[in-house]
Amino acid sequence: MTTKDIVLVALFAAIIVALGFLPPITLAFIPVPITAQSMGVMLAGCVLGAKRGAAAALLLLVLVAIGLPVLSGGRGGLNVFTGPTGGYAVGFVFAAYVTGLLAERMVREGQPEVRQFAGFFLAAIVGGIFVDYAFGIAWLCFSTGMPLAKALYLNLTFVPGDLIKAGIATLAARAVLAGYPMLPSRA
Amino acid sequence: MLTSLYVEGDTFLHRQRPGAKLALILVLGLALYLTERMAVQAVAMAITGAIYFSLPMTFREALYRLKPVLFTIAVLGLINIWLLSPQEAAVSTLRLLAVVFLAAAVTATTRIADFMETITWALQPAERLGIVRAADVSLALGLVLRFLPDIFAHYEGLKQAHAARGIAFRPVRAIGPLIILALKDADAIADAIDARGIRGR
Repeated sequence: MTTKDIVLVALFAAIIVALGFLPPITLAFIPVPITAQSMGVMLAGCVLGAKRGAAAALLLLVLVAIGLPVLSGGRGGLNVFTGPTGGYAVGFVFAAYVTGLLAERMVREGQPEVRQFAGFFLAAIVGGIFVDYAFGIAWLCFSTGMPLAKALYLNLTFVPGDLIKAGIATLAARAVLAGYPMLPSRA
Repeated sequence: MLTSLYVEGDTFLHRQRPGAKLALILVLGLALYLTERMAVQAVAMAITGAIYFSLPMTFREALYRLKPVLFTIAVLGLINIWLLSPQEAAVSTLRLLAVVFLAAAVTATTRIADFMETITWALQPAERLGIVRAADVSLALGLVLRFLPDIFAHYEGLKQAHAARGIAFRPVRAIGPLIILALKDADAIADAIDARGIRGR
C-alpha cells in the first residue's frame, strides 16, 4: 500500500465512525431504527474497492478492539466481539471486500448512469447485506443456540432498513465516482 | 468526544500483560462453549461479573457501557425461552454474560498503547512476509483520530452551505459531497507524510 492508500483507508474508517454519530432514523414501517454505520461499510467497498475497503473496515475493528467507543450508540471494546451480535461487526471486513470486488468488476467510468447505479446497488446488497448477515447469523446461532431458521426470520426485520442503506450508498458512491473517482485506482 | 474505555486503576487485571488477558478471554470462551452445564456458566458469570463491577468505576458507568449488549442478550434470551427451553436459554444467556463481562473488564483495564504493543507483536510474522507493516497500522490509527474532527467540520460546512442558499439540509444527501471533501484531503496529507519521511524507506 502506498502512503496515499493508507491515508484513504484511515479517512474512510473515520467516515464510518462519523456515520455512527448520525442520529438513527426510525421509519414507521420498520420496527428497528436504522443506523448509518453499516452503510459506511458498503460505501467503503464502493468507493475504495475491495482491498482498501476491507482495510478500512478492519481498521474500524482495531479501533473497537483497543477500547474506543466508535460503533453507533457509543459501543466499543472487546465485548462487542464476544456479544451475540459480534458476527455482524467481524462481517464488516468481508462485506466491504465483497462489495468492493463486485463494484470493481461491474462499475466503470463512462458507463451509462443506470448501469453504474445497478452495479453499486447489487454490490452493496450482496456484500453489505448477504455477506454481513452470513457472519452475523452464524455467530448469533452459535452463541445463543438459536435455530438457524428462526435467526434468519429474526434477521428479516433488518432487511428493509438495509435495502434503504444500500440505496443511499448507491447514490453517494455514484456521486463520488462522478465527482472524484477513486475506484479505478484500486490498491 | 472519543475517550478510551480504559479506566485508570491498579487492580490485578491492570497489572497483567494484554496478551495474557486476551488469551484468558479466548480460553474462558472456549471452555464455556464446550459445556452445557448451567452451574458452570452461572459460576463463571458470577466471577467475571464480580471482576467487572469491582473495577474502579461507578456501578452506573459500568452498567451504562454494557447497556446495548446487555439489552441484546436479554432480548435474545427471552426469545430463546420461547423458541428452545428455559434451561437452554438460561445456559446461553449466562455464558454470553460471562464472556461479555470478562471482555469488558479487559477493555477497561488495558491501555490503548499496551494494545498497540500487542498488535505490533502479533503482526511480526506478517511483517516479515512483507504483507503489512506494524508502523503503518499505528500510523493509520493515529490518522483516523486526526481526521474525525475534520469530517465533522466538513459536515457542519455542508450544513451551513445549504442554509446560506436556503435549501433544506438532508443528512442523507450530504454523504456523497462529504466523502468527496474528505477524499480531496488525502493527496495533500499523503504528500505531507512522505515529505516528513514518517514511513521511512
